[in-house]
Amino acid sequence: MYGGGYIYDDSGRSWQQEEQLQDDPVKLAAFEARIARGEKIEPGDWMPAEYRRQLIRLIEQHAHSEIIGALPEGTWITRAPGFKRKLALIAKVQDEIGHGQLLYNAAETLGKSREAMINDLLSGKSKYSNVFNYPAETWADVTVIGFLIDAAAIVNQVANAKGSYGPYCRALERICYEESFHLKQGHDAFIELATGTAAQKAMLQDALNRWWQPIMHFFGPPDKVSAHSEKLMQWKVKMASNDDMRNQFLDAYVPKIWELGLTLPDPLLKKNTDTGKWEFSDPDWDLFFEVIKGNGPCNKERLDVRKWAEEHGRWIRKALMRQEERERTALPVA
Amino acid sequence: MQSEQALPELLIKMADDELIIGHRNSEWTGLGPVMEEDIAFSSMAQDKIGHAWALYRILQEHFNGSDPDQFAFMREAADFKCSQLAEMPITSYDFSLMRHFLFDHAETVRYQSFSQSSFTPLQQLAAKIKGELKYHTLHADAWILQLCAAGAESKGRMQQALDNCFQLAGGIFEQGEAEEVLIAEKIYPGEAALYQQWLNNISPVIEKAGLTLPQMTAPVYGGRKGQHTEHLQQLLNEMGEVFRLDPEATW
Amino acid sequence: MNESLDPRVNRLRLNNSDGSFSIEEGENWNVFEVFHQEKRGAHHEHVGCVHAPDANLALIFAKEQFGRRKKCVNLWVVRSADILAFDLEDEDMFANNPDKTYRDASGFKVMDKINKFKAQSK
Repeated sequence: MYGGGYIYDDSGRSWQQEEQLQDDPVKLAAFEARIARGEKIEPGDWMPAEYRRQLIRLIEQHAHSEIIGALPEGTWITRAPGFKRKLALIAKVQDEIGHGQLLYNAAETLGKSREAMINDLLSGKSKYSNVFNYPAETWADVTVIGFLIDAAAIVNQVANAKGSYGPYCRALERICYEESFHLKQGHDAFIELATGTAAQKAMLQDALNRWWQPIMHFFGPPDKVSAHSEKLMQWKVKMASNDDMRNQFLDAYVPKIWELGLTLPDPLLKKNTDTGKWEFSDPDWDLFFEVIKGNGPCNKERLDVRKWAEEHGRWIRKALMRQEERERTALPVA
Repeated sequence: MQSEQALPELLIKMADDELIIGHRNSEWTGLGPVMEEDIAFSSMAQDKIGHAWALYRILQEHFNGSDPDQFAFMREAADFKCSQLAEMPITSYDFSLMRHFLFDHAETVRYQSFSQSSFTPLQQLAAKIKGELKYHTLHADAWILQLCAAGAESKGRMQQALDNCFQLAGGIFEQGEAEEVLIAEKIYPGEAALYQQWLNNISPVIEKAGLTLPQMTAPVYGGRKGQHTEHLQQLLNEMGEVFRLDPEATW
Repeated sequence: MNESLDPRVNRLRLNNSDGSFSIEEGENWNVFEVFHQEKRGAHHEHVGCVHAPDANLALIFAKEQFGRRKKCVNLWVVRSADILAFDLEDEDMFANNPDKTYRDASGFKVMDKINKFKAQSK
């Protein structure tokens, strides 16, 4: 699961002047015409250097978000109540790893190895979705994540699935199919608490209160301050604006929360019937950028756990690296 | 019919084994050595827990047992009949792989014997999960063989893991009190026969891997009588943490 | 001792490393393309790829990554490096296919001829 808007843009915009000039203008025109016709770009195709770089960054961050996103919910695998919840949660966290696998493969077709991507994650050079830097404190948090964070991710992923890069679209097609199971099992567990005992309901309300701000942050800063380029929209790398996706999410899910008698911790939250747009209090964007920088409650733990996994699996990976085949490991071709 | 008393004992120990080892193996989900293996190992953990669930349902349906969730999430360690092998912490991947190899071959031998069982629900369950178990042992064998052929460090780790697991694995075959009845009524061939078949099945793999099979000098018994290490109660406290907040609630 | 809310994590004994840990190129092994057969008699279709040390483990991995949901009866794996394909910009080699109607049933207007013949014979 992934939200696109918070992509940490540290690359600036100088590329537009430098690199695009180096791209062959005839090829660039053909490339852009192809995208405008709705055709997909495939791994071996000519593509502008910046298109390749932005896509690697996008898909890589998405992949990282999946394997880091497996951690807050993984917290509750050993504590999930009852067989059905236990199995569904393990299967869901397993899917997140599976999504990471698909996405790293898609990114690899652009020329960056999985190893290099994992190293950039571990060193902090490459980011993942901010929402996973918050702790899952109770079982109710799992239901909020499973329902609402996954719902938000679906909004984003369904948009991205209409993008221009073939391997990413194909990975997303499979991912969206599995996300529909995630959403359903999350919604089911959420409803169970919302309609359960007073203690269960209180637990859920508490989780909802804590997660609301991270959820509002999920799609990234408002369009008026967000640094995304026209070019990325034209190239169908970025498919929808942060505000549009956030509005789409609020429109679909706030009523589903309210209908269960739950409240959201924002007195200004309401749909403007004239504009059809949702209005809400501005979330704390300074906090959002602080967490991106690494100062959220769980940033360090998430990366330390990932490092633990990589370090402890190393002897196995290294033992099975075949010397004779090491001269060149091929990347995925499709 | 005497097996009315003896059968639940068999079903409970099998189910408890499956639940506890499945729970342990699920601790690797998200933390595996490489994504592809993470996914494979997680599927098998789910399968184990699924087998436990199926067995608890047989207990409920045929022997007036309690609701599977209540039975699994509310009992204390002394009431659990799993082998001590299953309850050991995941430790490191070599240990977890070796436990998976030894346990899954034992499980396979057991379910294969049920294809002849006079107790139809077990026969049906065995038929249903045959393919799953085939994959589990295929996976385990492949890893054992590959890691043992991948240099001294890797092979040394696997030998050490085998040495650490083997007596514990012997505990899977601890005989039950009413086993004679089950043998006589052709429900299953009994632990001693399963143990022999298990040895026959794992030995060629162990040999091909170049590992040395330790002597079964001191199988770790006790689990089937409710004697456990401290690890099991800790596991159960954790597993039941949410469920026990309100056992009457639905979650 | 960690201060995690995750009992799993607390058992890991994290070493709070400084970020210097990195993995080596090739540590995730080779890439194999995976082909999935949904039912007997159907073609195997490309569904993605797995990283594995050899074809044997690639197949074992593919079984769970690409065969754990939906119908599947068989899988193939093949090293990505062994796949030979045309460059995508060479798709113009196929461009005239639709014009070559002499290869296609639609290129032969049998009924027109029959109808013409019948009309003349009246």
